[in-house]
Amino acid sequence: MTLEISGGVENAVATLVLKGELDASSAPLFKTEIEALAAQHPTRLVLEVADLTFMASAGLRVLIFAKQKLGTGVDIYVVAPQPAIVDTLEKTGFHHSVYIVDQAPA
Amino acid sequence: MSATRFPADLAALAPLRDLVKQRADAAGLSTSRGYRLMLAVDEVATNIVLHGYQENGLEGHLDVSVEVTEDNELVVCLEDDAVAFDPRSLEGPDAEDLSIPLEERDEGGLGIMLAMDGVDRFDYERVGERNRNTFAVRLKE
Repeated sequence: MTLEISGGVENAVATLVLKGELDASSAPLFKTEIEALAAQHPTRLVLEVADLTFMASAGLRVLIFAKQKLGTGVDIYVVAPQPAIVDTLEKTGFHHSVYIVDQAPA
Repeated sequence: MSATRFPADLAALAPLRDLVKQRADAAGLSTSRGYRLMLAVDEVATNIVLHGYQENGLEGHLDVSVEVTEDNELVVCLEDDAVAFDPRSLEGPDAEDLSIPLEERDEGGLGIMLAMDGVDRFDYERVGERNRNTFAVRLKE
């Protein structure tokens, strides 16, 4: 299964729904989506990842890119990640820089 | 022990992961340890494809074999014909690096860190003109 991404910006909140597998092969697609969103200057990035079954370090590097591209004031929410992905985020210290939440913030 | 051959291309990562996952499940490895093994193999295979082959203008294969040893370990062996490269030579981030905010992060080393962390034993050796990366996990904790 490859990666499927959908989403957009509404009321300055950027939302991306990621489904499938985020590896070195599919990460460039994720990066392209982040670049497109950045042009609309969102104040928050919400990543819906309940159906993301795999994330390699290539995905982490896109999160670093997102933080740098969107600006440090733009909070990143990772919504409903599967346990293995939470494990990766925690092991690499990314949970200090993104919000891992069960539901998208209101 | 027969190996499965994949083209040294990023498109091979998904079927390579499927193979490792399938064998890990068959060997009775827990879901979380199976995932970590699969992630470890994925990260090293990614490095081989990008840095071993593509950066050097080379094409080739990844040969993967998976077996359960007499010592009750599940062992994945990943071989390639790319330039000699020992993943352990890459310095992973230390505890201090991992506490740095993302906006100040250096991107390097995360994959290798995850790879080393995901298995009980990792070995690299250069055998003739080939690289051999070995990942082992114990089947009984």
